[in-house]
Amino acid sequence: MKKYVWIVLMSIGWLVLVACSSGEETNNSSNEGTTEYEETNAITAWAWDPAFNIAALEHAKEAYSGDYDVVIVENAQDDIIQKLNTGLSSGTTKGMPNIVLIEDYRAQSFLQAYPDAFHPLTDVINTDEFADYKTATTSLDGKQYGVPFDSGVAGLYVRTDFLEEAGYTVEDVSNITWAEYIEIGKDVKEATGKNMLTLDPNDLGQIRMMMQSNGSWYVKEDGSTPHISENESLKKAFEVYKGMMDADIAKIVSDWSQFVGAFNSGDVASVPTGNWITPSVKQAAEQSGKWAVVPIPRLDMEGAVNASNLGGSSWYVLNVEGKEQAADFLANTFGSNVELYQTLVQEVGAVGTYSPATEGDAYAVEDEFFGGEQIVSKFSEWTDDIPGVNYGQHTYAIEDIIVTGMQDYLNGTELSQVLENAQSQAEAQLK
Amino acid sequence: MGQQLINKEHITHKRSMKAFIRKHIGWLFIIVSVLAIGLFYFYPMIEAFLLSFQSGAGASLKYVGFDNWMRLFGDPSFLAALINTSIYLLVQVPVMIVLALIFSVLLNDPTLKFRGFFRTAIFLPCVTSLVAYSVIFKYLFGVDGIVNHFLLNVGAISESINFLADPIWAKIIIILAITWRWTGYNMIFYLSSLQNVDHSIYEAARIDGANAFQQFFQITIPLLKPIILFTSITSTIGTLQLFDEVMNITQGGPGNATLSISQYIYNLSFEYTPDFGYAATVSYVIVILIVFLSIIQFKVAGDKK
Repeated sequence: MKKYVWIVLMSIGWLVLVACSSGEETNNSSNEGTTEYEETNAITAWAWDPAFNIAALEHAKEAYSGDYDVVIVENAQDDIIQKLNTGLSSGTTKGMPNIVLIEDYRAQSFLQAYPDAFHPLTDVINTDEFADYKTATTSLDGKQYGVPFDSGVAGLYVRTDFLEEAGYTVEDVSNITWAEYIEIGKDVKEATGKNMLTLDPNDLGQIRMMMQSNGSWYVKEDGSTPHISENESLKKAFEVYKGMMDADIAKIVSDWSQFVGAFNSGDVASVPTGNWITPSVKQAAEQSGKWAVVPIPRLDMEGAVNASNLGGSSWYVLNVEGKEQAADFLANTFGSNVELYQTLVQEVGAVGTYSPATEGDAYAVEDEFFGGEQIVSKFSEWTDDIPGVNYGQHTYAIEDIIVTGMQDYLNGTELSQVLENAQSQAEAQLK
Repeated sequence: MGQQLINKEHITHKRSMKAFIRKHIGWLFIIVSVLAIGLFYFYPMIEAFLLSFQSGAGASLKYVGFDNWMRLFGDPSFLAALINTSIYLLVQVPVMIVLALIFSVLLNDPTLKFRGFFRTAIFLPCVTSLVAYSVIFKYLFGVDGIVNHFLLNVGAISESINFLADPIWAKIIIILAITWRWTGYNMIFYLSSLQNVDHSIYEAARIDGANAFQQFFQITIPLLKPIILFTSITSTIGTLQLFDEVMNITQGGPGNATLSISQYIYNLSFEYTPDFGYAATVSYVIVILIVFLSIIQFKVAGDKK
């Protein structure tokens, strides 16, 4: 008898579950055939990081005084890329957002692979007011498609206490070359036993930063011709990378959480990366006052500067119903609102590339965590020096080839041989 | 007279209608599923085949003839993926099948205590999510992972091994992971068919003086042959389609050392500037390989009819 009671109870539970979930489905299916905008009269925006770009969107929504409602949807970045690719290539606009955030390294790939899928914003924002390197990557054929969001301006985050132990001051690590950086790293390791930095063999962000500091990239200016075997900057960057490995000053990590864990737990003496790492560095509150930010080291060659970029993303408007409204939203928020940029710096820690905003108060705030330095205004100062490069549409395809090449190089293959192999491989693959 | 003839004709006509209906009524019952299978299986397969002759970025696909197929042979990433997948296949499938066989024979012993517990324990990995267990493996074998801690503490190594950054170790971890996940699954097939084997066969063998090894090789293996064939085909297919583990544990790295064919398809479609045409070509390679390997396995192990 007891058995039957259980079976009945279980089936009721099952039915309730099914009923609930099918209820949701019917709601969704009523949207069929129409874009979200027609259905709800609200513009949707996709982004991926609740602590960063989603938070920025929330602030923008608050600051926006227009008539349109904005629905913010959080998707993982990989999911956004997949949904855009499958949606745009099938030609359906169903379920597509009005506004989407795209990483700058991928921007050209989307703009060129799906012509007409994005709404030009040339008349909506004043491109002169944004950093040059940023508008270069977000436009195509003279038309501006993206509204720049965050700057990926790079800096060298250093632990002043470790440097002191090794006999160095903050000035000693400012505006240096990578070769000098390695020498300091050796001394720091000897004095403190700490590694100088972390390296992830699958993510060559360091190489990308080094290249861009000399105005160079994996591809030539046309954005499609692989530029590897004759790329002196890349060659130099490879040598520096191997130098770090040979000097044994790098802790090897294999993902983001290990990367963040390394500096939060005080295992490394410096973090050369984009400014978006600031909130993660500050997570370790007990390290307050022990950090400083200095310009990123440069390659030891003619023309290289102590400024570079890593990552960063921009907003795009899809060519679907509601595009004018979406463009209006962006124009009045990220496109022109100086106040919003102050909020973003204060509340989110996002440094924009909108030059009029740099005059604001928030940019001049002194950060106790970094020994009372005005790090935001420092970052926006360096932003102006970043050499603009055309990332083209093959950054990640080529990087996968380069990652393999780097392994060969570290295992003893001749550098010129490695780069020539990579060059011919890239040429074969990118047709 | 005339009237009669017409009647007769009418009757034969009616009879043939009936015969026709009786003969073809079966189609009526399956027509829905046939259409559904055609629409959702065969139509996409044909479309994908056509797609494999096109190339281009994103939406701008053009017919390029056999260019994609030629490109395969000169594409080092594809060749690396093919070699890696073959290594997984050649090492992992036999190891797993043998392990599963051994476990099932051990667990089939009626004198074994806590049989139910061991069976559940070995089968349990199968119900875990692919992504969840992959992530756990990744952390187990991390530089600061529990495996390194253990090895350091027992003094087996003097310095942490960076498993996932070493080309050979990374492959071994992937193989370990898949074996852990799927051995129990295959074991269940063997167990269930072992339970249908009559105990008197073993009894007779024992009386004839066969030892445990002889019993295993002369009785168990031949009796399980169809199941071994089945599991090796499904495992081969599963390994050729390997994706979740590689994606989550190593992302194909270091370099291309653990890249699987399926992950390369993913990279071509979503990681790089999308070239769905070439991605479709690569996915057809998997189809061809599966068909080819299954035929071989049937020929080697199947009944010769």
